[in-house]
Amino acid sequence: MRLRALVRKEFLLLIRDHHALGVLFLMPALFVLLMAFALAEVNQDRLPALELVLEIPQPSEESAFFAAALDEQLGESRRLESTATSAPHLRLSPAFAEQLLDTEQASLGLVFPAATDALSRQRVRAAAHAALAQTRLMAFLLDTGELDADSSLAERMTLIRQRTEVRINEQERLASGALDQRVNASQHSVPAWLIFGMFFVMLPMANSFQREQQSGTLLRLRCLGVNMGTLALSKLLPYLAINLLQFGLLLAIGVWALPLLGLPGLHLPGSIAAWLLLAGSLALAACSLGLAIASLARSGEQALMYSGGINLILAAIGGVMVPKSVMPEAMAQLAELSPMSWGLDAFLVLLVGQGSLTDVAPWCARLLLFAVGVGALALFLFLKRLNDTQWTTHN
Amino acid sequence: MAACYWFLFMLELRGLGFRYPDTEHPALDGIDLRLEAGQCLGLLGSNGAGKTTLLSLIAGLRQPQQGEIRWQGERSIGLVPQQPAFHAGLSVKENLQLFADLYRLRGTERSNRLQRCIHDTHLESLLGTRAARLSGGQQRRLNFAIGLLQPAALYLFDEATVGVDIHSRELLLGAVQGLTADGCAVIYTSHYLEEIERLAQRIVLLAEGQVRLDLDKRQLLGDDHGLLLEWPTAPPSGLDALLAELQLECLPTARGCRIERIDAPQLARLCQFIASQPQLPDLLRFGRPSLEQLYLHFSGGAL
Repeated sequence: MRLRALVRKEFLLLIRDHHALGVLFLMPALFVLLMAFALAEVNQDRLPALELVLEIPQPSEESAFFAAALDEQLGESRRLESTATSAPHLRLSPAFAEQLLDTEQASLGLVFPAATDALSRQRVRAAAHAALAQTRLMAFLLDTGELDADSSLAERMTLIRQRTEVRINEQERLASGALDQRVNASQHSVPAWLIFGMFFVMLPMANSFQREQQSGTLLRLRCLGVNMGTLALSKLLPYLAINLLQFGLLLAIGVWALPLLGLPGLHLPGSIAAWLLLAGSLALAACSLGLAIASLARSGEQALMYSGGINLILAAIGGVMVPKSVMPEAMAQLAELSPMSWGLDAFLVLLVGQGSLTDVAPWCARLLLFAVGVGALALFLFLKRLNDTQWTTHN
Repeated sequence: MAACYWFLFMLELRGLGFRYPDTEHPALDGIDLRLEAGQCLGLLGSNGAGKTTLLSLIAGLRQPQQGEIRWQGERSIGLVPQQPAFHAGLSVKENLQLFADLYRLRGTERSNRLQRCIHDTHLESLLGTRAARLSGGQQRRLNFAIGLLQPAALYLFDEATVGVDIHSRELLLGAVQGLTADGCAVIYTSHYLEEIERLAQRIVLLAEGQVRLDLDKRQLLGDDHGLLLEWPTAPPSGLDALLAELQLECLPTARGCRIERIDAPQLARLCQFIASQPQLPDLLRFGRPSLEQLYLHFSGGAL
C-alpha cells in the first residue's frame, strides 16, 4: 500500500513537472530529428553519384564502347560537358582505337581537381581500368573474328559482360566487428539520443529527492518507519517505467516519423526478447546512476550540475555526440568506459548486424553489471542520506 | 480523534545523553522525563538548548548514546515539524490522501480522520488547490493537518504555528487541545510562550542540554506567587533588615526581590517603608509572574 502510494505520488509529481517532461521526451526527440538531418549525408550504404568529364578527341567504335563500359562501372554517375572544371577529367588519347591492343602506350589520362576526395579518385581509377580492360577485350575479339564486326554496341556490351563477369560468393557475418562504420543517420541518431535521454532521468530523480528532503517530507517518512527498500523502489520504479516509455516512443519516431521527413526510417530486426533485454538493461543502468546522483547531491544546484555534467561526459566519450567511427583510436578506446557506448553497440548489433538475443547479451550484461555496481553504491549513499536526514529548526 | 491510547501509553526518558561528534559539550546530558497519556508538555529552551536533539531522539531519528527511552505500548508518533513537510506539487487533497495511505488508514477510520483533520484545520475550500499555491499560513494548516491525520499515541509539534494568522492559530491550538482531551500525549515546542501557557499542563525548560525546570504549570504559574518589587538601580539599604524583621520569605532579583507570601499587616509595614524612601520602585506587581518572566529568569536571560 505504501509503495503503491509513493509510486503514484512520483508519477503525479513528474507529470506536472513540465521541465522534467521536456528534458525526458522533447529534448531527445528534437535531438533525434536534428541530428538525423545533420548526418543525412554521412555513412550512407549507397555511394554518392560521381560527376565526371570524359574527353574523346577522336570518336570511334572503341571510344563509344569505352564510354558505355565506363557508365556501367560508375552506376548513377553523371558525365558533364568538358568545360566543367570541378569534376575529374578522363581523357582518351587521340589514337585510342589504334593503341588499344598496344599495352606499351598510355591510352588514358586522368586529371583530378584538388577538391576530389581520395575515395572518389579511387572509384574513377578503378572504373577506368575496368572499362579499358573490357574495351581491349572487345578489340581483341573483333581482331580475332570472334566478335561480329556488324554487331551493335549493346550486343557487344552483353558479350563482354558475359566474358568478364565474375561470380563471387559473398556473405556477411552479421552482428560482428565495428558496426558503427556502417550505420546511416537514423541508425546512429535514434539510439544515440534515445540513450542520452534515458540517462537524463538522473535530473528529475535528483530534483525530486532534493525537494523531498528539503521540505521535511523525508523526515515524516523516516518517523513513520517507511523502510529503505520501499523508499528506494518508490524512486526507481516510476523512472524505470519512464525509461521504457522513452525507449518505445523514440524508436517509434525512428520507425515512423523520420521517413515522413525524407530520412531513412529505422527497421527493427531481431527478436522482441532481444529488444526487451536491451531496454531493461539500459533502464536499470540509467536509473541506478540516477539514484546514486540523487543521493549524492546536497542541493538542487548540485543535482543539476552532477546529472547534467555526468550525462554530457558519458555522452561525449560514449559516441553519442560524435560517432565512434570518426574518433581517433585513443578516444574510441576511452569510449568503452561509457555505459552509453555499450548501449549504442548493442543497438548496432540489433539494427545493423541483425543480431539475436545471444548477440546482444554481452552488451546487456555489461549494462546490467554497471546497474548492479552503481546500484549498490546508490543504495549505500541512499541509506546514508536517509540517516543524515535530521530534524532541523530555523529559529 | 477517535483513537485514544490513554490506557496504554507512557513515555519515560532515563538519563538520556547525546553528544554530537567534535563538540565539547553534550547536546543532552542526563535527561529524565516522564510523559503521561493525555498530557501536553511544553518544551522550552533557547537556541542550542537541546530541544531539537531531544525531539529527534524521541522520534527515533537518532539513537541515544546514554540512558534509555522506554515506551509502554506501541511506539507511534505524529509529527508536525517546523518546515512544511508535504509535496508542493500535489493538491491539498492529494497530499492528505498520500499520507493517509502512508499511515495505512483504511475504511471508516480513514474517512473519519480525513474529515476531522480537514475540518479542524479549515481546509475544506482548499482541497483542490496545489500546495505550492497556498499562502504561508495555509501551508502551515496543511502541515498541521497531515500531522493530525496520523493515529498516534504521541504528537510532536515543533514551532508549528509560525507565520499563522490569529484566527488559524486559534483553530490549530484547539486541535491540539482536542488531542490531549482524547488521551493522546503532546510535546509542544514554540517560541510563542502564550501558546505553551495555554496548552501545556507541564512545562520543561532545557538549558545547556539539561532539564533546568520540570514543573506543573499550576505550580509554576500559581496565583499565589507573591509580590515582585524592583527599583531603577538597586533596592534601598534598609529593605533586607525590614524583610528579616517581618520574617518574609523572599527571592532576591537583580534590582529587588520577589516575596512569596505576604499578609495584610506585613504589606502595610512594607508600604510605609517604601513610601519613606527617596526613590520609589519602578515595578510593583502583585500576583503571578508571566511565563516569559519565568523563562527569562531560569534560562539566564537568553531567548
